[in-house]
Amino acid sequence: MTQNSGGRMNKEIGKICAEGFSFFGKTNRLISHELKNILAIISETLGLLDELVELSEKGTELKPERLRSMSDSIIEEVERANGVVKYMNTFAHSVDEFIGEVDLNKSVSLMIGLSKLNPISKAVKIDFPETDSHPIHTSAFFLENFLYHSILFALSAAGPDKHIQISIHTSGNEIRVTFLGIDPARLASFPAAQTALLSKAIGAEISFDDASGKLQIDLPQKMTGGPIETLPIRLPRD
Amino acid sequence: MQGRVKMKLLLVDDEEKFVARLAERLALRGYQADWATTFEEALAKVGRETYDIAVLDIKMPTMSGIDLKKRMEQMVPEMKFIFVTGHGSEHDYDTVCKEALCCIIKPFKIEALIEKIEQALTL
Repeated sequence: MTQNSGGRMNKEIGKICAEGFSFFGKTNRLISHELKNILAIISETLGLLDELVELSEKGTELKPERLRSMSDSIIEEVERANGVVKYMNTFAHSVDEFIGEVDLNKSVSLMIGLSKLNPISKAVKIDFPETDSHPIHTSAFFLENFLYHSILFALSAAGPDKHIQISIHTSGNEIRVTFLGIDPARLASFPAAQTALLSKAIGAEISFDDASGKLQIDLPQKMTGGPIETLPIRLPRD
Repeated sequence: MQGRVKMKLLLVDDEEKFVARLAERLALRGYQADWATTFEEALAKVGRETYDIAVLDIKMPTMSGIDLKKRMEQMVPEMKFIFVTGHGSEHDYDTVCKEALCCIIKPFKIEALIEKIEQALTL
């Protein structure tokens, strides 16, 4: 490696690390925002319940079905919060092993779950059918970072049906993630600079079918030779 | 519950359960509170009714509360605004609340919102 190419590589590694930290921070903010929304619903429901009980003590009728509806609502929000905390915990484990075997299926599911915390996703339906596991050898954290940007792009560039379908297929030594339902006119704007950097880092190849609005991402079953493999860090498990 | 001069509020938040219950609690305190969960619905209501104050969630799908405020101000220049946000840190508070006359962080006590409503009306 020449001095110049070594310097370029170091800059690239620096950018990838910075993107990784930024992704971790953004994800934490999304999760805390969602949990605060859930707490706000629980707080308003309990506040209203308290006021209705107070009114009933003064003679206003309080129907049992009203109480049932509010208690059901609190249970729903607790379950919602539990789901968010599960995402948070699974995501936190993404850095346990820097490079290793990852089930792409689970990574896509997790990133769809986290993307759904972004307000942009509330206006778009997203389908990802459950399939068998698709193991690949890569950096779980940077793969998830790349998938998150890809899913957010698909959501923000969804066509008029506002319905994105994601699927995974294995072909030879590669695994393909396909996105359907993107506005074809928007495909050219993908990937943004940081997503392109991440795709290079994990060896992902991006291709489009302009006519159908199909975005395809081919991932190697075993990542080799990318800048991530030269990163001089190994994160501790505990 | 205390009586109050009828004041008309519009609450806008994509969390329907939150906004519906908050409206009901405000109604119990004598405020006339309508609610909407999308910016389209909110703008339509502002086009039809006269509101003294809008309480807007900052982070909503397709249009932020800050942009929604600008649209509403064009329609009703004398309307007052309070922003509500689920952002949690002091840094977030400073960032998102720059544009607002009043801003409040979720979850909050209803008394804190009422204090902001009263403050907004004196501005």
